[in-house]
Amino acid sequence: MSGICRARLTEERKQWRKDHPYGFYARPTKTPNGLDLMNWEVGIPGKLGTPWEGGTYKIIMSFPEDYPSKPPKCKFTPPLFHPNVYPSGTVCLSILNEEEAWKPAITIKQILLGIQDLLNDPNPESPAQSDAYMLFKKDRKEYEMKIRRQAKENAQQ
Amino acid sequence: MSENSEEEYNTIDDDFIYDEDDDNSIFETDEPDPLDDEGDLTFSYIVADKDRPKNYEVDFKVHSVAGIVKNQDEEVTHVSNILGIEKQHAATLLRHFRWNKERLIERYMDDSVNVLRQAGVITENSKAPKFTKVRNFTCEICCDDDRNMETLALSCTHRFCRDCYEHYLTQKIKEEGESRRILCMANQCNVIVDEKTVELVVKKDVHERYRTLLNRTYVDDNDHLRWCPAPSCEYAVECHVPQTSLISIVPTVECTCHHRFCFGCGFPDHQPSICALVRKWIKKCEDDSETANWISAHTKECSKCHSTIEKNGGCNHMTCRKCKYEFCWVCMGPWSEHGTSWYNCNRFDEKSSQDARDQQAKSRASLERYLHASIFYYNRYANHEQSAKLDRELYLKTEKKMEEMQQTSDLSWIEVQFLKKAVDILVQCRMTLKWTYAFAFYLARNNQTEIFEDNQRDLEMAVEQLSELLEKPIEAEKIAELKQEVLNKTVYVGSRREVLLEDTAKGLLETRWEFQVDIKE
Repeated sequence: MSGICRARLTEERKQWRKDHPYGFYARPTKTPNGLDLMNWEVGIPGKLGTPWEGGTYKIIMSFPEDYPSKPPKCKFTPPLFHPNVYPSGTVCLSILNEEEAWKPAITIKQILLGIQDLLNDPNPESPAQSDAYMLFKKDRKEYEMKIRRQAKENAQQ
Repeated sequence: MSENSEEEYNTIDDDFIYDEDDDNSIFETDEPDPLDDEGDLTFSYIVADKDRPKNYEVDFKVHSVAGIVKNQDEEVTHVSNILGIEKQHAATLLRHFRWNKERLIERYMDDSVNVLRQAGVITENSKAPKFTKVRNFTCEICCDDDRNMETLALSCTHRFCRDCYEHYLTQKIKEEGESRRILCMANQCNVIVDEKTVELVVKKDVHERYRTLLNRTYVDDNDHLRWCPAPSCEYAVECHVPQTSLISIVPTVECTCHHRFCFGCGFPDHQPSICALVRKWIKKCEDDSETANWISAHTKECSKCHSTIEKNGGCNHMTCRKCKYEFCWVCMGPWSEHGTSWYNCNRFDEKSSQDARDQQAKSRASLERYLHASIFYYNRYANHEQSAKLDRELYLKTEKKMEEMQQTSDLSWIEVQFLKKAVDILVQCRMTLKWTYAFAFYLARNNQTEIFEDNQRDLEMAVEQLSELLEKPIEAEKIAELKQEVLNKTVYVGSRREVLLEDTAKGLLETRWEFQVDIKE
C-alpha cells in the first residue's frame, strides 16, 4: 500500500508544481531527513469579494498509509473560526469522509478548492463548533465582522 | 397450539372460507331452527372455531437463505423483462428503491432518465464488464503507466487499473461491509459498481462476502422482512404488519428454528405487551439497581422462620426446608389458602402486597430503598422470567421422566409425549404471564383493568397448577391418572392463555386500554 501511497503523492506533487490555482500553496513538510511526503503544509486563500478575502488559511494535511483508499486529514493550524471546523481545527467536509463522498480519484487540488468553497459557504447541517455556528445562526452581521477580523489576522506577510 | 398455528398461516385462504361458514353457522344456530339435526354442520363449526384466525396472531412466512436468493432473482428478472434493461442494472434499481417494485416501475415509466441517474445506473453502451489494455494510459489513482496494465471502466467511462479496482472493492466489502452502494472511484461520479463487475474483479472469498452482504441488504431494506434474531439462525421472516400498527398489534412470529419473536421490534415473544411498553419496561428495569433486583427476584425469606430461600424449582408452592412451613412464593401467604376461590396473587392489592413487603422490609431495610412501588410488578415479572429459566431445566428432568415412564409402564414413546407438550405450553404461558405484568404496570386503573387482571389471575393459577403437576414424582400405579390430569390441565392452561391474549389483542384494536404513559413515543 505504501508503494501506491508514495507514488501517488509524488505524482500529486509533480502535478501541483506544474500547475496550481492562484494564491494556493501546498508542499511536503521539511524534516532533518528530507521531505516528509505524508504531511503537507497547505495555504488556502479566501475568495475575493467575500469576508474571507485577504487571508491565507494554513492547513496541515496528513496522509494515512492507505491513501488514496482513505482520505487525508486536514487540520487548520491554528484552529479556524468556522461552523464546520472542529475546535481542534479538523475540517468537516463530505469529500474528506471515507464513509461519505471520498473517492480515491480525488486530487489534492480538488480537496483544496473544496475547502476554499466551504469557507464562505458553510454547511449548517453539520456544525462542528458551537461558537461559530451559533453566531452564524443568530447574528450574521457580527459573524461577518468576526470573519473579516480573522482574515486580517491571517493576512500573508 | 403452536403446531396448529404453522399450518394456519400456510392455509390462510382456507381459513377465510371456514370463517364464512362459521358466520353462517352462527346465524343458523341463533335462529330457532328445528332442522338442527345435521351432524356434520355442528362438526364443521367446531373445526372452524378452532382454526379461525385469532386477533393476537398475524400471518407470516419463513424464508431460507436459498429462498431469499431465489426471491431476489425472480424480482430482478421480472423487472429486467418489464423495463428491458440488463439484469445487473435492474438489481441496482431495485436496491435503490428498497425493493419496492411497483414504485420503481411507476417512476421509471414516468421519467426513466432521472430514475437511472439517481440510482447511479448508465445503461447506454453497457456491455459485459471486461479488462482491457489501453495505450498511453496512466491510472489516476496509483499513477502507474505500465503498458501491460489491465484496466477497467464502468459505463461512466472513468477508467482505472485493475489493481486499484481490486484494492478499492476489497476494502469497501471487507472493511466497510458495503455492498449495494459502492460507487465509481472518480470524484463526484455516482455510478454504482454493479454485481457483474464486482464478480469479475475481486477474489472468490471477497465475492462470497459480497453476496452475503447483498442478501443481507435485501432483508434489511425490505420493510416486510426481518432476520430471525436467534443465534446463528439463517432464516428470515416475512410479515406484512406495518410499523404504524405496532400500537395496536403485537406481531409475534415463529421461525423454523422455533424461536418466537416480535416482528415489530425483534425482541423475544412479548405478547400481550406492545413494543412501546416493552421498551419502556426494559429501560425502567435497567435503571433500577441490578443487584437489588436480583436479590429480590431470586431470594426471599420464609415468613415464619426468616431463613433466606432461593427458588430452585419451577413451582410457586414452597416448603421451607427448615420449619416445613408451606407458602406461596408470589405472595408469601400460606399455601393452604391457595387453590381455593380466593387465590389472590396477581393483583395490585394494596394490603397483601404491603404485607408481603413489610415482611421483607424487617430484615432488608437497606434493600428496600431501591425498590419502588413498581417492584410489585417487577417482582412478578422477574418471578416468571426466573421460573421460565428453571423450566428449561424442567425439560431435562421431563425427558428423564418420560424414559422412566416408558420403563415403569407399558406406555410407548409417543404416548409419553404429552409431558413434553405440557412443558412447552408451560414455558410459553410463563413468557406470556411475565409480559402481562409489564402491561399491567402501565395500564390506567379502570373497569377494563379488572377484566385484564381477572384473565391474568386465571392464567397464573392454571400455570401454577400445571407446574405443580409436572413436579410430582411418578407413582407407577397412578400413571394413567396423572396423564389424564396433565392432559386436561395442559389444554386448560393453553385455553386460558388464548383467552387472555385474545381479549388483550381485541382491546388494543378497539383502543379499549388506557395507558399511564404515551405509547406513541
